[in-house]
Amino acid sequence: MKLSSFKRGRRQLLASAVGLPLLAQTEGKPLVFPGKDAMLVHNDFPEDLEAPAGSLDTFLTPVERFFVRQHLPRPRVDLAQWRLTLRGMVSRPAALTLDDLAKLAQHKLPATLECAGNGRGYFRPRVPGLQWTKGAVSTAEWAGPRLADLLERAGLDAKATFATFDGADTGAGQTPDFVRSIPMRKCLHPDTILALTMNGKPIPAIHGSPARLIVPGWDGASWVKWVTSITAVPESDKGFFFATAYKYPKRPVAPGGAARPEDLETIEAMPVKSIFTSPGGGTAANPARFRPGSVPLAGLAWSGENRIVRVEVSADGGARWLDATLGKEDFRYAWRLWRHEWTPPGAGYYTLCARATDSAGRTQPIEAPWNPSGYLWNGIERIGALVKA
Amino acid sequence: MRAILVLSFVLAAQAADSALIAKGAAEERKSCVGCHSLRISSTQRLSRAGWERELDKMVRWGAKIADREALLAYLLDKYGETVPPAPLPLSSPGAR
Ligand code: HEC
Repeated sequence: MKLSSFKRGRRQLLASAVGLPLLAQTEGKPLVFPGKDAMLVHNDFPEDLEAPAGSLDTFLTPVERFFVRQHLPRPRVDLAQWRLTLRGMVSRPAALTLDDLAKLAQHKLPATLECAGNGRGYFRPRVPGLQWTKGAVSTAEWAGPRLADLLERAGLDAKATFATFDGADTGAGQTPDFVRSIPMRKCLHPDTILALTMNGKPIPAIHGSPARLIVPGWDGASWVKWVTSITAVPESDKGFFFATAYKYPKRPVAPGGAARPEDLETIEAMPVKSIFTSPGGGTAANPARFRPGSVPLAGLAWSGENRIVRVEVSADGGARWLDATLGKEDFRYAWRLWRHEWTPPGAGYYTLCARATDSAGRTQPIEAPWNPSGYLWNGIERIGALVKA
Repeated sequence: MRAILVLSFVLAAQAADSALIAKGAAEERKSCVGCHSLRISSTQRLSRAGWERELDKMVRWGAKIADREALLAYLLDKYGETVPPAPLPLSSPGAR
């Protein structure tokens, strides 16, 4: 972020950061986040909040339950002063106001947002980073101008290969700025938008107000928040958050091993995955508990840029699979609800599993391949369930 | 006699360790705040090499560590790879 209009906000932010007590801000105090329901707290400053799996039981996730991931402290944005700068390889650079953006044709779509590190907590050996389990994923309906319209309006040079996005957030000390590049083929896709609303209301500050990039099907890191500038460029950004972070090895790595730097590729579309929401979880030590009879099982399945065509459920650890019923909402970039009425054959301990298949024929592995940064976990979930009369 | 000697040696070593760990806890409260809360470290479970890499990264980003040995001893004691993970806290609803 380089716009002078944000200087004041930045100073305030710095002042509040420096003025913090030396301990964690909330140590010993109840954790409460305005506008959020009960969330699993990975970090409180800046907030990194996971949705408890049982709470993700609707097609659109209410903002109150939508997961939160922030790398850098949230900027304070003055909406009246806010401008979106379009620059770089364009013939008509521009600084647009929020009103300018609202006057353009608005495109609306539901899309699932998943952090690339969702499920990192399941990798062994453990890797550094937020130890997300399964709830760093949510779905909203997003609306705003198409990125292609904005770039076209600015007179995009056909030779530009990436657009680079910067938000109003900045890091303290020598912390790198959060900057991401997106290849032009995805920028110009008609479903890639600069969202001004989330579930029909202006995007809340914690989710990127006033403008957030929506890159349907791609990892959360691509969905830049608090966007202030879009720069058409001949090559991708060289900063930490694009050139180093969010890389996945194209050659599989032994658990605990290292990837060769030349094998690391930028994560783009997310893999096929499913989770249970009911029951939300269960282990041998603390199983989900049921009475004999009919047990409603439910969950979610999604697959980056592909559709979900099938979800199967097993109650015996994967020996026998039965088709689950898919929800009626079927959109390319959004998760699909699924449910299955399970009748346990009797009392006992069962291992429930679910596995999704997408329109490209991809399905889930038993365990996701280990990788040094713990990205793209999509292993088949196993839930311990105890049926007792 | 030998057993007593060994035992007192072990106890002395542990006392030295816990003094170092206490120093490390104070070091964390000095060097690891400002950019994020300490909670982000509390969910990690890393080996010595893992924590060394993490500290190198934080120093590159602007953290100033006075007593690295003590900080490492503390981080390994509380958040080493063999320490069982603690359940994540659930926030109280703040909606509406
Ligand atoms: C100059 C600012 C700054 C200071 C001081 C700082 N950190 Fe960080 N730290 C960061 C940033 C930025 C991140 C990345 C946050 C994110 O991506 O969510 C981070 C992330 C982390 C993580 C999560 C894993 C990772 O690498 O993303 C751990 C653990 C961590 N810091 C530990 C520490 C410790 C221990 C200290 C004290 C020696 C410290 N930090 C001091 C800026 C800082």
